[in-house]
Amino acid sequence: MPIELNINGDTITLEIDPRTPLLDVLRDRQRLTGAKAVCREGFCGACTVHVDGQPVPSCLRPVGMLQGCRIVTVEGLAPSGTLNRVQQAFIDHDVVQCGMCFPGMVMTLTEFLDREPSPSRDQIKTALVGNICRCTGYERIIDAVLSMQTEAAK
Amino acid sequence: MNRPTDPRSVVMNLPRRDAQDKLTGRTRYTSDLAGVEVLHAAIVRSTVASARILRMDFSPAIAMKGVRAIAQASDAPGLFGIGIADHPLLNGTRIRFKGEPLAAIAADTLDIARAAAAAVIIETEPLPAVMTMADALAPGAPQVHPEWKSYELLREGGIRGGNIAWEARVTRGDTDAAFARPDVTIVEDCFQVGRQNQLPFEPRCAVASYEDGRYHIHTSTQVPWTVRAVTAKTLGVSASRVRVTVPAVGGGFGLKFDCTIEPIAAILAQKTGRTVSLVHSREEENLTCLCRENAEVRIRSAVTAEGDIVGREATVLMDCGAYGGEQVFLTTMTAHTLGGNYKLGSVRMNSRAVYTNTPPNGAFRACNGVYNTFFLERHTDNIAKAIGMHPMEFRRRAVLGDGDIGATGQVFQGEVLRPMLERMAALRDKTPDCREQADGRLYGRATTVGTWFIFVGPSSATVNLNADGSATLVTSGVEIGSGTMVQSLPQIVAATLGLSPDEVIVKAADTDAAGRDLGVGGGRATVSIGAASKMAAERVRDQILDIAAEMLQAQPEDLVLTQGRVEIAGRPGTGMPITTAIARAEALHGPVSGNGNFTAPGVQAMPGCAAGHFIDAIDIPVFAVHDCEVAVDPDTGHVDVLSYKVVQDVGLALNPRAIHSQIQGGVVQGLGYALHEKITIGLDGGLEQPGFEHYLVPLACDVVPVKIDLYEGAPSIGPLGTKGAGEVPILNVGATVACAVSRAIERDVWELPLTPPQVLSVLQGRTGRMDHSHLSAVWQENLLEFVAPHRSLDHS
Repeated sequence: MPIELNINGDTITLEIDPRTPLLDVLRDRQRLTGAKAVCREGFCGACTVHVDGQPVPSCLRPVGMLQGCRIVTVEGLAPSGTLNRVQQAFIDHDVVQCGMCFPGMVMTLTEFLDREPSPSRDQIKTALVGNICRCTGYERIIDAVLSMQTEAAK
Repeated sequence: MNRPTDPRSVVMNLPRRDAQDKLTGRTRYTSDLAGVEVLHAAIVRSTVASARILRMDFSPAIAMKGVRAIAQASDAPGLFGIGIADHPLLNGTRIRFKGEPLAAIAADTLDIARAAAAAVIIETEPLPAVMTMADALAPGAPQVHPEWKSYELLREGGIRGGNIAWEARVTRGDTDAAFARPDVTIVEDCFQVGRQNQLPFEPRCAVASYEDGRYHIHTSTQVPWTVRAVTAKTLGVSASRVRVTVPAVGGGFGLKFDCTIEPIAAILAQKTGRTVSLVHSREEENLTCLCRENAEVRIRSAVTAEGDIVGREATVLMDCGAYGGEQVFLTTMTAHTLGGNYKLGSVRMNSRAVYTNTPPNGAFRACNGVYNTFFLERHTDNIAKAIGMHPMEFRRRAVLGDGDIGATGQVFQGEVLRPMLERMAALRDKTPDCREQADGRLYGRATTVGTWFIFVGPSSATVNLNADGSATLVTSGVEIGSGTMVQSLPQIVAATLGLSPDEVIVKAADTDAAGRDLGVGGGRATVSIGAASKMAAERVRDQILDIAAEMLQAQPEDLVLTQGRVEIAGRPGTGMPITTAIARAEALHGPVSGNGNFTAPGVQAMPGCAAGHFIDAIDIPVFAVHDCEVAVDPDTGHVDVLSYKVVQDVGLALNPRAIHSQIQGGVVQGLGYALHEKITIGLDGGLEQPGFEHYLVPLACDVVPVKIDLYEGAPSIGPLGTKGAGEVPILNVGATVACAVSRAIERDVWELPLTPPQVLSVLQGRTGRMDHSHLSAVWQENLLEFVAPHRSLDHS
């Protein structure tokens, strides 16, 4: 049975093995390589995308389960050439290093901050338990997220 | 013309130019390059650790639809290595570790390639194996390389034999006399550490094509020129037939000094005439990871009651796995890491790279230094305890200072470590301790010191000054995430030419465009590539100033380049836009460009001190002082890091914010090493942590914000007095955590990582004093007889 889903606003129809991970559809068929295939086991979070608004590791979502779902990847998060506030905070605080984990970090934190606009340091850390970063040691990422509240309060 | 660039114009918190694309998913790393339009490759690997290959039958693979080519041992006849050429690209005769590449298959899809790789029939005859260094050193042990004598030596002076791939020694002064003195206390310890996986998020990968009779390899590497050389050597072709280009690299940490993927992709591209992508799966990547090596030490010191270390002896065993690789070179480093930090009246050290039938090890951020600093600092605490001196007081007295000599006899310049200890004391005083947070758990705190170095070596650079007033910097540098290519290099060139950094275009590494380079790692990029870039920019600047001086009827030395203009110094607005001078230069002589180069100056050591060493002295020492507070749960053995502080010797901090990021990230990698990143080797010789489920790297909730004080002004030959800042932050984390835990639980800590079961075992007295029976307490008994170099290298 063809699988129909919406990716970044475009509806596509797939005639493929329904067990194919969403990650492979994004990277190989759509050539949306922002989601990174790092662990393929759901631990690292580098392939996180939004499925109907929820951040999920796309490596663990067979496309057969996503009939009719709305997928947003990091490429579709903000209009081309613009940044959302999480991305802007990361630039302002110069927190990016190799960058492989950041698309996933951005997807997780964007949804988290919509839900929890004034989180504590510990709440942010807990929210990132499924997003691993090997370069930065996290704390400056947390600082950047906390700064968004300070900015918003001004 | 020698006019200094004003450091004030170069220091800034320049943001990264690559951040926007990385944050929006637009950056294409090597692993993102290949779509369905190219061929995909998979590697056929050994499933046993030691065996003779009797037969390999590829016919079931060839019969599969979509299989396009097979690479096998006969396609890559050349052996490669560091110091010794002992490593085949694809093994067709004798398997030496589980997971060893035997062949590779390119097919229309990755699924077909993997199925075909699994279909290859491999018949083997088991051979005896050695899985540990103790086994490898036992009398009559099976040899991993029975043919070791026949290998080409790539470096003279190697001391080797049997399962000892390489031995590096240092001897200075009379240690026998020191240990025989009646007024000394002798302290002896054994320690050991396991392996650590670099775990860069982008695995090792390459995309190769064959164009106009040449191999073109896009790869995720730290060392494009090594890839060029190793590909040529293994394939048996001229290096000029290999072109290497490097997109953004998704993390390296030393792993990507490796070059075992690229030549395979090159062979398959040449055979098929198609572009071939070869990307490690996570499982392959982890199970064949060129880890930071497991290591063991026996160290003993003779110390006076005043805290003078009059004699020190040590033997370090470094597991190189099945092939020599980086460990051969790294044997050199023990003299400068385990032999660092402290003044030594006399010293002899022996560092041995040992072959085992396990996956080869490699380079990892502050390689060799991380565990030797753990060994040294725990030993130092034990010395202080034995002579009844406070460990801080001992360190203050014993650390290297201005004019002191290192293990190989090099003279250290400048008083650095002692003032850094003072700065740490001030940093500690500024913030209340976290003892209360221990909340009933065992509390411990330690301050340690560490000695590292910048691994300099050759770099080259070209700067083209464009007619529009921008500059293009061409080097073989690679952006691995540390910021060198997007921050420090454009800052240096911009300051020299009076431009803003965003007017400096930085070309990513392409061996067809830029000159030879040692690579990005060892803290060298800002220093070596930076020095070459600065020289190239200065040559451009001098041409422009000469032209402008004629136009302004002034002396070149009275002119400055600033804010895109040539000005008469002290008289802003009197000059002209730099584009006017460029236009004049182009009209008279043609486009303006300059070249720069750099290499290791070669600091003097004491003659005759070192044998089997690749370098005799360290060109740019770097020091670090770390402080850590921990709480240990006596019921579970769980260690909580309560606070972490770093005082780091950075020379000049070009981009303080970026250095802070490197320190936070490096410390956290070190916390993983200290506490929970554990690799085990099974009875079959294979690594047992194939993914993130079992190999535990730090998560956000495991870490603390590091308090940082950058120590500037120590002597450095780096451009503008810089030192590399990205490598050293991990150096003494294992040491500091171990010393703090040891003090908290009031027990000796002999081993890392300090996982809860390990700590509990020590705490409950189930782990006894460590004693390596395969490391003799008599130092000389751990030495190989010297074997004369291979005849072909005997020039006398």
